[in-house]
Amino acid sequence: MPKVDITIEICGMSGNGTIAAGGILNQAMSRAGFSVIAFDSYPAEIRGFGRCIAHSRIGDEVMQALSDKINVLISLDDQQSLSRIPFLAEKAFVLFDNKPPVYVEENRSLAAHIKTDAQLIGMPMTDISAGATGSTRGRNICALGGFASFMGIPPEFFHKAIEKKFIAKGKKILEANLKSFDEGYFHVKEKKDFQPSSALSVPKKASEKETILISGNDSIVRGALDADLKLFFGYPITPATPIMESLAKLLPERGGKVVQMEDEIASIGAVLGSFYAGKRAMTATSGPGFALMTELITHGIMAEIPAVILNAQRAGPSTGLPTKTEQSDLQSAVFGGPGDSARIVLAPTNVMECYEFTLKSFQIAERYQTPVIILTDFFLNNRVESIKNPAASPEELADGNIYPEESEKENYSRYRDTKSGISSRAVPGAEGYLYNATGLEHSEKGDLDFSPENHMKMSEKRHRKIYEALVDLPVPVEALSSPKMDLGVIAWGSTYGAALEAVQKTKRRKLNVGLLKITSIFPYHANVIQQFMERCDKILIPELNYEGQLANLIGHLYKKRIIRLNRATGIPMSANVILEKIETCI
Amino acid sequence: MKTSGKILAQKISGINESKIFSARSKNLPTWCPGCGYFGIHQGLNNAIQKLKLPHHKIVTVSGIGCAGRYPFFTKTYGLHTAHGRTLPVSTGVKLANPELTVFAVGGDGDGLAIGGGHLPHIARRNVDVNYLLFDNSIYGLTKGQASPSSPQGFKSKTSPTGTSEAPLNATLLTLSYGASFVARLFAGDPEVITEVLIEGIKHKGFSFFHIYSTCLTFDNQFKTWENLNEQVHPLPKSYDCSDLKQAFDMARDDPFSTGIIYKRD
Repeated sequence: MPKVDITIEICGMSGNGTIAAGGILNQAMSRAGFSVIAFDSYPAEIRGFGRCIAHSRIGDEVMQALSDKINVLISLDDQQSLSRIPFLAEKAFVLFDNKPPVYVEENRSLAAHIKTDAQLIGMPMTDISAGATGSTRGRNICALGGFASFMGIPPEFFHKAIEKKFIAKGKKILEANLKSFDEGYFHVKEKKDFQPSSALSVPKKASEKETILISGNDSIVRGALDADLKLFFGYPITPATPIMESLAKLLPERGGKVVQMEDEIASIGAVLGSFYAGKRAMTATSGPGFALMTELITHGIMAEIPAVILNAQRAGPSTGLPTKTEQSDLQSAVFGGPGDSARIVLAPTNVMECYEFTLKSFQIAERYQTPVIILTDFFLNNRVESIKNPAASPEELADGNIYPEESEKENYSRYRDTKSGISSRAVPGAEGYLYNATGLEHSEKGDLDFSPENHMKMSEKRHRKIYEALVDLPVPVEALSSPKMDLGVIAWGSTYGAALEAVQKTKRRKLNVGLLKITSIFPYHANVIQQFMERCDKILIPELNYEGQLANLIGHLYKKRIIRLNRATGIPMSANVILEKIETCI
Repeated sequence: MKTSGKILAQKISGINESKIFSARSKNLPTWCPGCGYFGIHQGLNNAIQKLKLPHHKIVTVSGIGCAGRYPFFTKTYGLHTAHGRTLPVSTGVKLANPELTVFAVGGDGDGLAIGGGHLPHIARRNVDVNYLLFDNSIYGLTKGQASPSSPQGFKSKTSPTGTSEAPLNATLLTLSYGASFVARLFAGDPEVITEVLIEGIKHKGFSFFHIYSTCLTFDNQFKTWENLNEQVHPLPKSYDCSDLKQAFDMARDDPFSTGIIYKRD
């Protein structure tokens, strides 16, 4: 159990600089040597009147889930922050503007509503900022100064984070923000009417090279760049757009190209064309865009063309809840599209795995000549985590293509039915290997063949190949398990972190509970999963969807009925929700 | 129909004598006897031969339909994609390896209906792909339904009393999309096809070839050999294909004039 485990929320109205302040806070805490996991919540409308929350959890050990108990609430808008009161932990700190810029009726003021043992720290953020810089815009940064002061965090960590954020905006803006921070810091330091926190002692600072603070999206970008991605084709869609935006900056300087296509169908089409012609390509989308891609994904499966597709899941069918998180595209990723079209689907559970799986998927796609789908979700894409600076090994960087032998020349069978189902794949430009790749059923030579024997044979070949890929796909990992368990929790995607924390907490209560992480969604390691299930009296699968999509997929492996915890709330699963469910099950 | 089939057969047999057939696959085309697509096939083959393009450096990308089967009848690398997706897939191929010569091939349903959203974008990106739109104004492979270029009043299995929609003019559309090379051709003139294709292949950027063809099996009302032979004529000698304004007028007002309608470096 971590000694330091503090959840901080900055809550404001859109336009208050809530998310910006959260970014600086995370950066500063990471620089101070803490482990950070952070996630922002904001309205779908850019200029809408909505609540923004920057949520950060910091600790001295690796954090993989958010907490639903707030230890420190920094309010930039009292009316919005009222909604956070029920989530305050015991002895929480609440930092608020005691001279807010907008008139707040007395009965709407935050302080008037807090009946718990929370310590209220009022500071005139607006006045301090205006006095220091002549502008009230530094109000959010001023609040961070107050926070650093009462938590006992040395200001230099914040100074560096503020510099990083504002250096590009010019010296004047940078200095104004530094001044707002310092004034806020000293204002609280001089106040003696509250008990400063002793919960945060700054740990030994890790080298910045070893640990980086990075979002799931940026981790995916790092993975793709390390895989030597050459072409990215995409269409803007929340929450996958930041991937395209980052690559648009980074890919050209590495000799690659980002093309914003006319829709998601064109994006996957161009990815297939590129891989067909021998270059690594990728697209990233979310559920609605993914739905449009399914036909061409099955074309990649049929014609045996590699592709890498990232689906950053958001909530709901159709346009759904574009800025909320959910794990409800599992079925569409595994089954979507016409015909028997088995494909490879991977789901990372944390920011580090976002890097690893993206990197790996190019090689897998090339080796098995089939589209690889990476399933992430809004929470995983947008949260930031402090992780070990990732690097690829030479094996991970190797070309996964299987080119034809010289002996195959002039009588080339592109779709030769081999033991593994994997055939050699010639790339246009190579002399002596002309063939047609087609979405119609074809013979080993690639000629059209609709005969009953051939369709059966080639269907079998394509499926054999997919199951063959299991040897290269990440195996399920057990945690905190024992030979016999009263309850086994199986979790995937971003819910895994919360499940891990929940199972860790059961140990304090001496419950016999174990955990299994599944990252290869399809094909899946049926034997490994089944062996785990057989050792458990009960199986619980918590998922952020209504239907229990992983439970639907692997439920047949368990002889009893699986207990489901299905949440279609649009917010990340918390450990406490899973813990409560575990306790009612045992 | 018999007579006009003969016209094309004579033209092709004339070229036959020159024995330049090496871009043909051992697979014989599955098109109906007398289909205009044979003429296009002939024209493209000859262009490939005359330019001495190495076959392993050619990729023929196609969609679905009678025209979509084209890669199977050529000796090049072939990529027979999903219905309507010829152009984005071609974009991927060309960007991945600019040394390849890329032919995108599809029919009027593939290019103007289901895939119609892709044409403006490959044109404005000016990707160096040669797009041959085989326009016979009908869905042939699904056995005779009206297409987006069928004339108003066209009777088909899905429009028994005649279509009510106005037809699309592919040449005019592509000009509006800002394409840098736009040609209009006729399947009955394989020599002209070869000549113009050579220009288009050499052109750096997107080249569009709108090729009128017949469907002997399902259209005896509109795009018949008789009608097309009568309607199609070359562009006037004085025509300047670098003049975009003139190109728009020509595309709209004289829809059966053939040749290079517009070309911009």
